[in-house]
Amino acid sequence: MTARFFDWIWHIRGSLALSPEQTSEDAFARLDPLFRETGTSHERTGDTLTFRKKDPAAQDKMSVFDGGVLQIERDAAGPVLRYRLKSRALLFCFFAPLLFLAFGQLTVVLGKMDTPASEEKEKEGKDAKTSPEATMNPIDKWLGAPEPEKKDDKDADKKGDKKEEAKNKRFSPTSAYVFAGIFAVLYLVGRVLEARLVRGLFRRRLAGL
Amino acid sequence: MDGVRVGKRVIGADAPVTIGWENIPRVEGSRFKVLFFTWFQPAVLFGLLAFWYYAPNSIAKASTVIGIGIGFKVLLLTLEWFFPRHESWNLTWKELTTDLFYVGLGYTVLRLVDNYIGDGVMIEAIQHAFAWDKFTWFTGLPLLLQAFLIAFIFDFGQYWMHRGMHNWYPLWLSHSVHHYITQLNINKGAVGNPTELFLIGLGIGGFFDFLPRAAILAGVFGMAVSTYQHINVRFNTPRWWRFVFNTTEHHSLHHSQDYEASRSNYSGTFIFIDRIFGTCVDGEAELLGMEGGRRMSIREQMTYTFTEGWKTLKERFGRTATAVPAE
Repeated sequence: MTARFFDWIWHIRGSLALSPEQTSEDAFARLDPLFRETGTSHERTGDTLTFRKKDPAAQDKMSVFDGGVLQIERDAAGPVLRYRLKSRALLFCFFAPLLFLAFGQLTVVLGKMDTPASEEKEKEGKDAKTSPEATMNPIDKWLGAPEPEKKDDKDADKKGDKKEEAKNKRFSPTSAYVFAGIFAVLYLVGRVLEARLVRGLFRRRLAGL
Repeated sequence: MDGVRVGKRVIGADAPVTIGWENIPRVEGSRFKVLFFTWFQPAVLFGLLAFWYYAPNSIAKASTVIGIGIGFKVLLLTLEWFFPRHESWNLTWKELTTDLFYVGLGYTVLRLVDNYIGDGVMIEAIQHAFAWDKFTWFTGLPLLLQAFLIAFIFDFGQYWMHRGMHNWYPLWLSHSVHHYITQLNINKGAVGNPTELFLIGLGIGGFFDFLPRAAILAGVFGMAVSTYQHINVRFNTPRWWRFVFNTTEHHSLHHSQDYEASRSNYSGTFIFIDRIFGTCVDGEAELLGMEGGRRMSIREQMTYTFTEGWKTLKERFGRTATAVPAE
């Protein structure tokens, strides 16, 4: 199995046909401003350009890439620009759902481990000072704000349930699963979007737009 | 660069800033657009205050707060997309992913850690230790006054913590990472070294266990005022609003590449706290960040606080590198 089988996760490959009369010199000259951004270094050897980026600016059109190779090849149909770009941001986003799933699992495990402590707290809670009955200011009564919930015996029965509910909330893995889903979608969007954006960027530059 | 004298300070000597409300551009276009961007902020604030004031007890709970909060963020992201304040702050896929990663940390692992140490535990301790019967004078106050006092006390604490972060090196190590952001977007408030996110305490949700309605109303100030600190949208903020509340303009100046400008506008909600203590500067900036606007990678954001701290410790206490010749 070659690395190529799975390196599409963080590599973007593509090619663009150049006009038959366009020389490598002219094509690279048109693309040159893209490699003169802050934090970008590049070197050219013949028909090959290699670049590297460190801490690119947020608005750098190629900020999502850390490096790559652009090559101009000539075949029967005419000159073609082939590129292979590497993005750690895409790789990071690919693994982010796993990270958040791990956070979710960790939350579940810690929630199970927390049970004895919360029971202790419940015992302590019986002796703890409780908040007095909530009173309502006459201004709020006059303005028609809803009355605060009354504490009655029913509430006392519910107290245990509420504590359990609060614990469940504290150790709920739901948000971790939601973010795992968000990052899975973000990866798919990013993988497609960034490939299209960089292709469009090269095409416009080569056309002199 | 000459800069502009504001009180005893010269603002804008290192990087370009705009000082004075009269010099800040206003929203232009159709009558509807101008009206919308003039009244959007007050309408949302008063609308939310009215909603939570009158919402039945069955609705006035944390899950509704979270739902409205997420919906509001989506609305603001849409505004950023269609009406950007600066094109140089436009949200890219990489910026959005980075911001959401930090928002995700806040909702998951930081909240989890918060159960054991930090404000989550402090709130629980307060709830257990407080002599509630001596607190009835507060719970008997009008709801909106309670809400304002909770929001103000919280922001007053934030002001001094934030000012401390800019003046005491160990705290600055933690906060400096947030100042490496080079543009403002709606979720940028979450970006920073986790030690800081932890320090400022994302988990004020714990307070919802008591004074629920007043606490939710206090939270409205956070949502309908503080959120605008990091937003790439221009509003025709009313004069009274920008005198009382923090705005994007104030906070962009705080994130400016200009050193003196960054030492202003520390409050999160009530800019009048800065006015009281002489740290308020009215104005805005577009060029943001540190080290001339170097954007940090997530990896460096995670480690910078510790690596810089270690470097400083080594410089101060480490052995000198000078070789001692053998006799």
